[in-house]
Amino acid sequence: MKLEGTNTLPASVDTVWKTINDPDALRSCTPGLKELKATGPDTYQATLQIGIAAVKGTYAGTLSITDKRAPTHYKITLEGTGGAGFMKGEGSVDLEPQGSGTLLKWTGDLQVGGLIAGVGQRMLGGVGKMLIGQFFKCLEERLGGSA
Amino acid sequence: MSTRYTGARVTRNEDPALLCGRGLFVDDIHLPRLAHAAVLRSPHAHARIVRIDTRRARAARAVVAVLTHADLGDLGGPLPRLIPHPALVHHKTQQALASTTVRYVGEAVALIVAESRYAAEDALDLVDVEYAPLPAAVGLEDAVAPSAPLVHEDAGTNVCARYTQRVGDVERAFAGAPRRFRERLVMDRGTASPLETRGIVAAWDPRARLLEIWDSTQAPIPIRNGLAAMFGLPQTNVRVVAPDVGGGFGPKVMMFYPEEILVPLAAQRLGRPVKWIEDRREHFVATNQEREQIHDAEIALDGTGRILGVRTVFLYDAGAYCPYGLIVPIVAGTTLPGPYHVPNYHCEFTAVFTNKTPVSPYRGAGRPHGVFVMERLLDRAADGLGIDRAEIRRRNLIQPDEFPYDVGLIYQDNAPVQYDSGDYPRCLARAAEMIGYADWRAQQEAYRTAGRYLGLGVACYVEGTGIGPYEGCRVTVEPSGQVFAATGVGTQGQGHMTAFAQIVADHLGVTPRDVTVRTGDTAAFGWGTGTFASRAAVVAGTAASMAAAAVREKTRIVAATLLEARPDEIELADGKVFVRGVPSRALPLGEVAAAANPLRFAMPREWEGPGLEATRFFAPPRGTFSNGVHACIVEIDPETGMLSLHRYVIVHDCGRVLNPLIVEGQIHGGVAQGLGGAFWEKVVYDAQGQPLTTTFMDYLLPTAADLPSFEVGHEETPTPLNPLGVKGAGEAGVIPVGAAIAQAVEDALRPFRVHITEMPLSPSRVWELVAGTRRSA
Amino acid sequence: MKPAPFEYHCPRTVDEGTALLARYGDDAKVLAGGQSLVPLMNMRLARPANLIDINRIESLAYIRDDGRALRIGALTRQRAAERAPQVAERCPLLRDALRLVGHAQIRNRGTIGGSIAHADPAAELTAVLVALDGEVTARGPKGTRVIAARDLFVSYLTTSLDPRELLTEVCLPAPPKGAGWSWMEIARRHGDFALAGVGVVLAVRGGKITAARIGLTGVGPTPVRPAEAERLLTGQTPSEDLWNGAAEAVRAAVAPDGDIHASAEYRTHVAGVLTQRALREAWERAREAA
Repeated sequence: MKLEGTNTLPASVDTVWKTINDPDALRSCTPGLKELKATGPDTYQATLQIGIAAVKGTYAGTLSITDKRAPTHYKITLEGTGGAGFMKGEGSVDLEPQGSGTLLKWTGDLQVGGLIAGVGQRMLGGVGKMLIGQFFKCLEERLGGSA
Repeated sequence: MSTRYTGARVTRNEDPALLCGRGLFVDDIHLPRLAHAAVLRSPHAHARIVRIDTRRARAARAVVAVLTHADLGDLGGPLPRLIPHPALVHHKTQQALASTTVRYVGEAVALIVAESRYAAEDALDLVDVEYAPLPAAVGLEDAVAPSAPLVHEDAGTNVCARYTQRVGDVERAFAGAPRRFRERLVMDRGTASPLETRGIVAAWDPRARLLEIWDSTQAPIPIRNGLAAMFGLPQTNVRVVAPDVGGGFGPKVMMFYPEEILVPLAAQRLGRPVKWIEDRREHFVATNQEREQIHDAEIALDGTGRILGVRTVFLYDAGAYCPYGLIVPIVAGTTLPGPYHVPNYHCEFTAVFTNKTPVSPYRGAGRPHGVFVMERLLDRAADGLGIDRAEIRRRNLIQPDEFPYDVGLIYQDNAPVQYDSGDYPRCLARAAEMIGYADWRAQQEAYRTAGRYLGLGVACYVEGTGIGPYEGCRVTVEPSGQVFAATGVGTQGQGHMTAFAQIVADHLGVTPRDVTVRTGDTAAFGWGTGTFASRAAVVAGTAASMAAAAVREKTRIVAATLLEARPDEIELADGKVFVRGVPSRALPLGEVAAAANPLRFAMPREWEGPGLEATRFFAPPRGTFSNGVHACIVEIDPETGMLSLHRYVIVHDCGRVLNPLIVEGQIHGGVAQGLGGAFWEKVVYDAQGQPLTTTFMDYLLPTAADLPSFEVGHEETPTPLNPLGVKGAGEAGVIPVGAAIAQAVEDALRPFRVHITEMPLSPSRVWELVAGTRRSA
Repeated sequence: MKPAPFEYHCPRTVDEGTALLARYGDDAKVLAGGQSLVPLMNMRLARPANLIDINRIESLAYIRDDGRALRIGALTRQRAAERAPQVAERCPLLRDALRLVGHAQIRNRGTIGGSIAHADPAAELTAVLVALDGEVTARGPKGTRVIAARDLFVSYLTTSLDPRELLTEVCLPAPPKGAGWSWMEIARRHGDFALAGVGVVLAVRGGKITAARIGLTGVGPTPVRPAEAERLLTGQTPSEDLWNGAAEAVRAAVAPDGDIHASAEYRTHVAGVLTQRALREAWERAREAA
């Protein structure tokens, strides 16, 4: 599914850029991320436990940052496989200054396969959007904004 | 011979046991030391298998064995190709377990055998498979585009076949035609959803070298013969039983599904019986589906609405593999002309591989598509020419005095499509009368004035049934007087235990309750091809009749000896055998059977052998053609797109009706499936080939609460092609439903000028169509 | 479809139940009717290590009318509530909504508390709770608390209940006597998840609407209470124009997701249509009662 959105963050482009590249920030803001271990520059081994309410799946996979054009653009890919299926989220992030803050524009392609896709089509889109929303809300809070 | 039971509404022999839970389905088979299997299935629509590591799974609690392709040995090659065809260039079948590539979500990758299904499923999580996902060809039109990812790389194309059927000169007909209309018609994927999913139990006796299989299949004898060949066993050392089967509808005819090889193999290797029962979620990916076709069709007519020619070019979705060949698109193409004079016809299809569950026939097997296209074209023409819809059909119908009528095409059995008998105008007239066609416009106006949108739809069809190659039956009278009839077709709810019993009972002067019919056990009867294509009553029924007639003759010969009369003086009635006119000197039938098997002394030469038993085969030279007309009244709420079915009328002609109760049951079931395919049932895949409808939450089967009562009118034009005069009726109900509903919905929404060219519909889609025309108005 | 292994617990009292939840809360699920949970477990989408079966806690099944509200024990079976005379008398909206929850067989096992705690985005009961400004009582390691409907539903299948809390009671304030009500929904088949559903209560005096309550389901991650639509209706004289205005306000208040069964546009549109029809019906009933 294709998703997109914009967020206004209360910090300069440079600060935002640093934050979205900071493994600490990624570790604490990515919903369900249990483990993030660097295996190379901009590549991490990831363990995710994602779901909603009782429906949870554990996914083991990778998080990687590519196509870096500091300090305004990169692609971030999170993919994993697990018992409940597999998932692959590819996001393209663009930053531009807006006043004293930053306008963050993202477009993403979220693929969910396996059991969850076959059974949860009713809510997948909404839940996907919600989880991505959680990610940005967390970033916002980290950068000193309020919910 | 009496005709007391043939044609009567006899309640079914099979029902008391089934209704009281005393049926025997494959999951009811319990054997000592039974182990349970689960299948690891691909989560990707298209991927290379890089690595499979089964160590963790093999070490798991209660796991007995884990098989991957590497363990299959001689059984690792592509599974058999059924029904080859010269046009089928790439006749691809899957392997029992994928080796290098998976091509649809659900393809079998590994088999786990454990002490329980619970433990087997626990172990599924522990098989480590590394996949390298590949782009998937999903949409039918996308798959045929030049840039599409290849489902089978070595084929170099996703087109597995191209085939054209022609009658007359369609180019000339269209060139000179005063009126032409065209339509693009899209029919989407569906799945049969039998109440009972698939399942198989296998047991291997190493001492007797006997392989015993219980399989929820529609074709146990081909399975037996195929397994014997694959396992290098004599056919007589393999027994396949299709016990009670909770619905088949087509997809249970295969040779083989992977599990039908894997489970016997596991049983042989492990020296323990193994059971695999498909769960519902698996069923939605691992059992064959059907119904996806896109037609670009055109009709040419003269000014009075007479058909000059019909042309269709269509895409057919074969899924990832095409084990069953081209039956579905060929049947679609040969069904399209229907009950009409179509002097010039061109039907061209392209069969396309996609990375989705493989396709094989599902009730109707392409006939619904042929009918949908033809009926929609006629409706378009009726609108364009200002002719009443029923009238334009009347003007084109083949007349009762034109039989046998050669359509000019070759049917799925490689024999000409030649309609043997029928009275098409009569069926249309009766359906029109039953639905109240004459008064409809006035009624509709009254509804519209009250702000309600109701519509009427009527659709005609001809259905090829009763094809060969053959079926057989052995009828035996035991000394108890009980009669047994064994045949090779299987039963999945068609009432064979009753219909065949009726036929036999009439020949032998007993009641249907006195006749026990056995089907689906290769040990009871080992010759036959299976239950499909609406053929069992025609072919096996006729064989049963022939065998029972032979037993009757033998009875008369033996009784003549016993009663010192001539055979032609002997009568059979009420379970007794007697000389005509002397009922007091009657012998019970069983006594004659006992006497026919003497222990001592010479046997009369005219008996030609012991016992009251005969085996006969019927091999019809070609199929026989049933027909019918459906008419319905629906109501649509244009604000919500919701559909309400007010009335559904079915007039059908399947020749001589053996048991109206059973035929009505078949029709009701077929219509219900047809209505499902018209407004509820759709198998959906996302752009990556992920199936999104793998539960009944999302694959919607209409229930009794959603459907009206059905009104059935029986017509009978017996066929000259078999002594019983019967034609097939198994698939009839489903065939014209989409066409009738499309017409009815369009009729209901006439003020909005909505155009229905797709199946299935949904409330959201109907509303979209209404809202769309409102906006552009 | 066999569940993953789990430990089974069967408390007999609420205290035993909450003690188990306190201990296992992070990896436990409460089993009440099981109509949602058991399929999730069989499909291995949910793999709680502990299953706490509360079906033997009989003290949790009751329906009481305290004069102001209906107090329904969490374990009350939906079918029992559907047929209870107090419900028909004091809160017919609940009865009508319950009739469309799945099928009778499901309602024989499903519970009032279970449906609310499960918070399916297309559930009927959550919309009824929100429309009537209901509340739930929950008991956990930190004691007992009352949660208002507006604070209860957080997102898809997610409430503000702590995993260690047991929902014990659902409280529905009864609409005033003579109020009209209506529940309408669109589902593809009898008993299916609603594509959109609306519950309406109209209190009426002197030919004018004194209070309007609307609750919608199937139009977002949580049930929706369209404040603007209610405001538009309050104090007004019913008319087709008024219903149309309310319908438009409802459409502006919802942002449903589309899925394979119905597009987002359809659900939005139909939410408005159902609102109009429900308001009409509620008004008729209020008039009849007068």
